[in-house]
Amino acid sequence: MMENLYLVARIADTRVALRSRAIHSVVTVGTPVEVPGAPPHVAGLFALRSRVFTLIDPHVVIGLSDVPVAPGQRVIVVEVAEHGYALIADEIEDVCFIEAPETRIAGKLLPGWARVADAMIEYRGASLLVVDPSNFIMLPASGSGPIKCAVEV
Amino acid sequence: MGRTDTAMDDLLNDFLAETAEILAEAGGAIVAWEADPADRAQLDAIFRFVHTIKGSSGFLALPRVTALSHAAEDALDQVRRGNRVANAALVTGVLGIVDRLNELCAALGRDGTEPAGDDRDVIGALAERAGEENASLEIAGVPLRREDDLGADLQGWRSIRVPLPLLDSVMTGVTDIVLARNEFARMLRESGADLSLIASFDRLSDSIAGMRQSVSQMRMQRIDKLFAPLPRVVRDLAQDMGKKIAFQTSGGEVELDREMMENIRDPLIHIVRNAIDHGVEPLEDRVAAGKEITATISVSARQSGNQIEIEIRDDGRGLSPDALVAKAVAARLVTAAEARALGPKEKLELIFRPGFSTAAKVTAISGRGVGMDIVKANVEKIGGVVELRNDEGRGLAILLRVPMTLTIISGLMVRAAGQYFAVPRGAVREILLEGADTVRIDRVGGGELATVRGKQYPLLRLEAVLGRERHQDDDVDDRALVIVRPGQGQSYALSVSAIHDQEELVIKPAAPMIMATGLYAGTTLPDNGRPVLLLDVQGLLAAAAIDANEAGRSQGQAAEAEAETVAARNAAQLLLFRDTNARIRGVRLSVIERVEEVPVSSLFESAGRIQVRVGEDIFPVHAAALPGGEGTLKLLRLYDGQAVLCYPIAEVIDIVRLPDAVQPSAAPGLIAGVVLVGGEPVELLDPFWLMEQYAAVAAPAQRQPICRLADDRDGWGDNFLAPILRGAGYRVIADGDPSDEAPDVLLCLTGDGEACSHIGGGVPVIRLRAAIAATGPEDESVYRYDRQALLDAMRRSVGGEAA
Repeated sequence: MMENLYLVARIADTRVALRSRAIHSVVTVGTPVEVPGAPPHVAGLFALRSRVFTLIDPHVVIGLSDVPVAPGQRVIVVEVAEHGYALIADEIEDVCFIEAPETRIAGKLLPGWARVADAMIEYRGASLLVVDPSNFIMLPASGSGPIKCAVEV
Repeated sequence: MGRTDTAMDDLLNDFLAETAEILAEAGGAIVAWEADPADRAQLDAIFRFVHTIKGSSGFLALPRVTALSHAAEDALDQVRRGNRVANAALVTGVLGIVDRLNELCAALGRDGTEPAGDDRDVIGALAERAGEENASLEIAGVPLRREDDLGADLQGWRSIRVPLPLLDSVMTGVTDIVLARNEFARMLRESGADLSLIASFDRLSDSIAGMRQSVSQMRMQRIDKLFAPLPRVVRDLAQDMGKKIAFQTSGGEVELDREMMENIRDPLIHIVRNAIDHGVEPLEDRVAAGKEITATISVSARQSGNQIEIEIRDDGRGLSPDALVAKAVAARLVTAAEARALGPKEKLELIFRPGFSTAAKVTAISGRGVGMDIVKANVEKIGGVVELRNDEGRGLAILLRVPMTLTIISGLMVRAAGQYFAVPRGAVREILLEGADTVRIDRVGGGELATVRGKQYPLLRLEAVLGRERHQDDDVDDRALVIVRPGQGQSYALSVSAIHDQEELVIKPAAPMIMATGLYAGTTLPDNGRPVLLLDVQGLLAAAAIDANEAGRSQGQAAEAEAETVAARNAAQLLLFRDTNARIRGVRLSVIERVEEVPVSSLFESAGRIQVRVGEDIFPVHAAALPGGEGTLKLLRLYDGQAVLCYPIAEVIDIVRLPDAVQPSAAPGLIAGVVLVGGEPVELLDPFWLMEQYAAVAAPAQRQPICRLADDRDGWGDNFLAPILRGAGYRVIADGDPSDEAPDVLLCLTGDGEACSHIGGGVPVIRLRAAIAATGPEDESVYRYDRQALLDAMRRSVGGEAA
């Protein structure tokens, strides 16, 4: 059943259906602590209970410019390879079971989305990209400048 | 067996865990006590160790353990009462009991029952007390730290085992409580709660702080627990191999995660064994190399940035890259062609290849298949690295670096670019203000240099390294300098906008992409709930591409230290040796050039003297006859600045300070006198006399030609001529001297026209005449006041040797 559970949210200006397997919770954060020298998609660090989480800005991963994080920002907390991350979400819509099957991506996507999107799915009369949240974390950020993010798992 | 109920099993397990710990510590304590038998506190501690084991074993009905511990307790009690003297035999006896107890405990842990057997051998060995008065003289001095801990209350030994995940969850829980407390405290302040409420909250807050402290310590252990068994290992091995080793540990207060500790225990012991077996040279080789006869092995732990460094250093022979290559090729680990392509570092790292053993032959001690490859694998398993710092001929240091995640470190909070960072306190040497009088900052070719009290450090500005701008709120004038020592022999000054405070921090690894920057060693969550990045003080250097090596920075001090060492080494020292007749004799170390080990076959007899061929040289040997047999012979090489004389010995014993009081011999001879060394009379060789005996042979080139005066009837030759001749380097034999030494030249002072009475034997003759003019063209005589003509004639006759 969990396979059909998705979090529908607007991320990097695009409505997507996130596979919920890795999703821990949705929380609000205050001002994150910056990490100088880190790859551009790392928006900072914040603490949740006694854990430190790394905040990821999906805009940068997709190739857009980064967004400022204001206190009260909602983020999607995910767990990847035993480390805690959070994705900045523009808007959280719903958590729901989608009975429709995932289908192959039809049409041409922006290069940034092409790298993170796995499939498409029909949801309430709209086609949404299906994204595994870990893709935002594992993939190096696109865009200009040297890519310093050598991901080790 | 009857007691299968779990309560009994738990008791047994507790006993085993407790006893294993006691035995490990007891071994170290016993060795320390042996080094200083007068140390009453140490003796009492050991007594309590065995007493505890005896008590617990009696309760569990383990008759062999009880009997063994009773025997040890009994012997130690007699020492405590002054009925028995502590000596090497007693210590060896007690250590024998400790070993047997270890065996029994291992069997108990395996089978759950005490194996049947006889312990009369070890108990008997301890009971013997006659006739074994301190036979062994090779006792390594092993200072052991932490007497206070060893003397601690017995209750300290009580322990239980707890699964690590449970500890982790307790730790997370307490951290959450602390954060909730902080949140709550803030809300209380803001709500303007009344004082009694705040007071009772403060009480709660204090107890939470105390609890956090204890929980933090649960996973951690002082690293000297890991060091505790080492003195024993060193002592036993040094005795077995006849080496003298001073063993030191430092940094025992560094704390390490228990799990990490388990993983480096065996590698550490293996490296120490290796150092004793392969690293430290035999006594003779150490003397030959001009080293202290007592080798030093030191194990030190320190926290360096995000890592714990454990260094095992010896002052032995170090690694020889060429020998390693030869060995690896012989063992078919690499081909000759591959070996040629190896760099110096890769050559050294051959020792990490499986199947490599550095000893020329596999010894019983360390060459038994467990090699450096296993050490490396074990350390790497926990994310650590093994580094070699080789100084060929002078020693080897092996560095184990293990990560410090999940450790609690003391961190210094600093501020830069408007945010806080943590610097490991262990790497911080000093904190200064940039504007202080003792600090001078120079811009040198684009870089910056901080000079603090005459010492220079490269200057790193934290904002620049992190690629950030200075924050507008930061104080520009009063920045702080943190002098950082990221590793041995490295240091730099880190400029930050402010120093905040110091906190105990729980370090957790950061996300991989953050660790990959190389700038950070982890994250931590201080009490205010805002994450803080722990700086990787080594990584900052790499990012700034700065050479922080201290070498060559402070020349003056290094030279001074060097001079001091040399001065200490040159203090009058006595080399003690056993001569070929098994007598213990001594000679001033300064006259010994080196100790040579030569095959007996290289000695030969020539012209009635024993000589030895060493390489291209031939030296005289102080021996009455050629030694028989085969094998090798050790020779002390005495050197007086010009000539060498070899003195055969059986073995080198020690180097001691030359006692001031020398009882001189009655007559000059081989023995200059007798000195007392450790209460024993030792004959002191007279190098002056020895060299004198062999001077002619030892220094043929320096031999003075002999000039004999003949027919010196009026003493003119002796009075007027001889001083000039001596001044010109001749030995003069006066007329009438009964010596029959063959002269090199004969000076005839016969009156003009008379025949010289001493002509013969093929000795050149120079005739001196009193008249200034020669009698004719055939007259080869020399006018006796023509100094130059005379000396020229002499030189021609002797062969131009003396001038």
